[in-house]
Amino acid sequence: MTSVTINGRTVEVEPGTTILDAARAIGEWIPTLCFDERQDPFGACRVCMVGVEGAPAPLPACTTQVRDGMVVDTRDATARRVAGAVVELVLSELPEPPASHTELAAVARQLGVSGTRWPGTVHERDHDDRHPYLALRHELCISCGRCVRACDEVQGTFALTATGRGFDANVAAGLDQGFKDSACVSCGACADTCPTGAIAELSLLDLAPEPLHEVTT
Amino acid sequence: MSKNLVELIRRHHAEGAPTALEVLKAAMDDHGAITDDDRRVAAERSGLPEAAVHGVSTFYDDLLQPRGRRHVRVCTGTACFAATGDAHVDAVREGLGLGLGERSADGETSLAETVCLGFCHSSPAVRVGDVIDAGPGVVERVLAGAEREAAEPDPVSLLAEPVLIAPGTWAGLRAALERNDPEATLEDVKAAEVRGRGGAGFPAGMKWQFARAATGEHKFIVANGDEGDPGSYIDKWLMERNPELLLEGMAIAGFVVGADHGFVLCRSEYPRSKPALEAAVARAREAGCLGQDILGSGFSFDVTIVEGAGSYVVGEETALLACLQGLRGTVSARPPFPAERGVHGMPTVVNNVETLCNVPFIAARGPQAYRDLSPGATPGSKLVCFNERFAKPGLYEVPFGMTMRELCEDVAGGLVDGHEIKALQIGGPLGGILPGAKLDTPFDFDALAAEGCMVGHGGIVAFDETTDMRELARHLLHFGASESCGKCFPCRIGLRRAHEMLAADAPVDRRRLEELLETLELGSLCAHGGGMPAPIRSLLAHWPDELGLVAA
Repeated sequence: MTSVTINGRTVEVEPGTTILDAARAIGEWIPTLCFDERQDPFGACRVCMVGVEGAPAPLPACTTQVRDGMVVDTRDATARRVAGAVVELVLSELPEPPASHTELAAVARQLGVSGTRWPGTVHERDHDDRHPYLALRHELCISCGRCVRACDEVQGTFALTATGRGFDANVAAGLDQGFKDSACVSCGACADTCPTGAIAELSLLDLAPEPLHEVTT
Repeated sequence: MSKNLVELIRRHHAEGAPTALEVLKAAMDDHGAITDDDRRVAAERSGLPEAAVHGVSTFYDDLLQPRGRRHVRVCTGTACFAATGDAHVDAVREGLGLGLGERSADGETSLAETVCLGFCHSSPAVRVGDVIDAGPGVVERVLAGAEREAAEPDPVSLLAEPVLIAPGTWAGLRAALERNDPEATLEDVKAAEVRGRGGAGFPAGMKWQFARAATGEHKFIVANGDEGDPGSYIDKWLMERNPELLLEGMAIAGFVVGADHGFVLCRSEYPRSKPALEAAVARAREAGCLGQDILGSGFSFDVTIVEGAGSYVVGEETALLACLQGLRGTVSARPPFPAERGVHGMPTVVNNVETLCNVPFIAARGPQAYRDLSPGATPGSKLVCFNERFAKPGLYEVPFGMTMRELCEDVAGGLVDGHEIKALQIGGPLGGILPGAKLDTPFDFDALAAEGCMVGHGGIVAFDETTDMRELARHLLHFGASESCGKCFPCRIGLRRAHEMLAADAPVDRRRLEELLETLELGSLCAHGGGMPAPIRSLLAHWPDELGLVAA
């Protein structure tokens, strides 16, 4: 077993455990956007940065494995500053703020990011409603890769892909012909994991018009 | 990188299937644009799902830029920028009446941007089909349809006995095979302290040790020939003019690690590299230096040459492995490291081309002789190359530890026409920018790092007193944003915002910029987003007045 101290609490975990898994096991919160526990860590969003004693800079909790004796501070000031700055950048690429019930909106609230100060290009609105109940709103895609990995790692259908590169990166079904005419089996795993509502089930959208009632649990 | 897709690729490769990228590149060569039918064929032949093929087809420059019968690619690398301030780009655009990425309505002519063609010694450079023309009059010749192959200078070694520019003789591989002790050869490479020559400077021996210790049905050696750093034409020369030395280094690595196959990934921006490497592989097989039972030793090792498709970030090792297997060239988080899971999910060593070219000398002559090449400095020698602003531009083999002044003034003859060195960018676009006042800095890893600079790839690009530093910042961030692979959020969005800040016709809020640079530097997944702040920080430190800054 490997011993790691997180926010002052020492725990024993299996070798190879990530900082994120170790922290969650003891109830310590670390913000994430591209992480889904049903999928392999991806390391793309860089919102899960944490301070590690002796490391020159913050490290991503989702892809960094614990080492024996490691001391982690999930509330490290530099790490939180970077995480907040990244979320602000993410908000800046969307043509509208994320719906309040989405994971992105929740992470922004928890990091105290209320909006974005960045002017500049935003994603163009592009709605694909060809499927009877899976809607794809390209402009809300933040390229976290969760839908693509859900389709690959969870469902094994491979109907989705990342597209483009750089700021223009996005997601598409099949040869961009929409869910209906791709290999999609309408399982909904992509909509289930999407943190922004870029992929959503139409019936749920109809049932839940904005603003959503917030529940604190 | 998707484990499932890599496994699909492994199984289809075993059946002799091409990669999706190879099929798409061939379609582009054949009819100048990718159609959905091409994507379906690529999926069918490679075994990849259609969606994954679609993703590949939207990633690489070579698959995105429509081609006419006459496809003109204008170099927008940093050496070409230093030469003309991008005036050559405007001249070609106006002369052809086409924007970058456009094809004429009759399908005759197309124009695209390319970074960089490796003719930095004769900038500006323009490529028409596979002919690369460069130097004075290039724009006029291209517009008149009279382009011609530009000459390339012969390299010069400052060493008593050249190491990297001496033709490969296979003496190192012979010595290693006769000694027949892979562990001892590994110890020699470690004792020689070979640092990676592709940018990161990671000890090559450590990578070999990890891969040697890893278990796998097969192991692979990959030579990273994706020399995308604008201003560098070092690996280009090695792959095209001294390919035997590279193949020998790969075979020695294979012998040490226990690999039976190697791949060279070279750039499509260098149209001569793949043919030169393939010819060298054929000669080596003929001579018994590659293939089955090499030189009667019982050791078997062969090499396949793969060409990229236009993406800077593919020079990062995990992105390179993705490209090599025909996938989108995006970066993957490590672990897993290539040494445990690389090509086809097997243990893989990824070394830069020049790094591998250092190995034959160590195997033949031992680590001490190698260390003696640069007394009191980083062991070994280094190839450096100079841009067109210098009086004697070209490729030189030098010891580590000379000052930048000795290199720029004594070796490369200072700048042409009495121009002054305003600044140098060393090692590529992720390297800091050294002011002309600091030329007494030694050319070595630690000394350059102390100035916020790096050895990097070894390209030395001089900017003269006419270069506007805000324009340079714009140039660098345009490159950074357009080459971001789009995987990690800070780089994908942050470089776009940084470029927008510097490209706007407005003062730059210094504090906002510095906050953004911190996010890029600390947050990015790979050295692209993490490294782009270095030159911008240099510009902020040394030329704040030229950047048009305002305090918050």
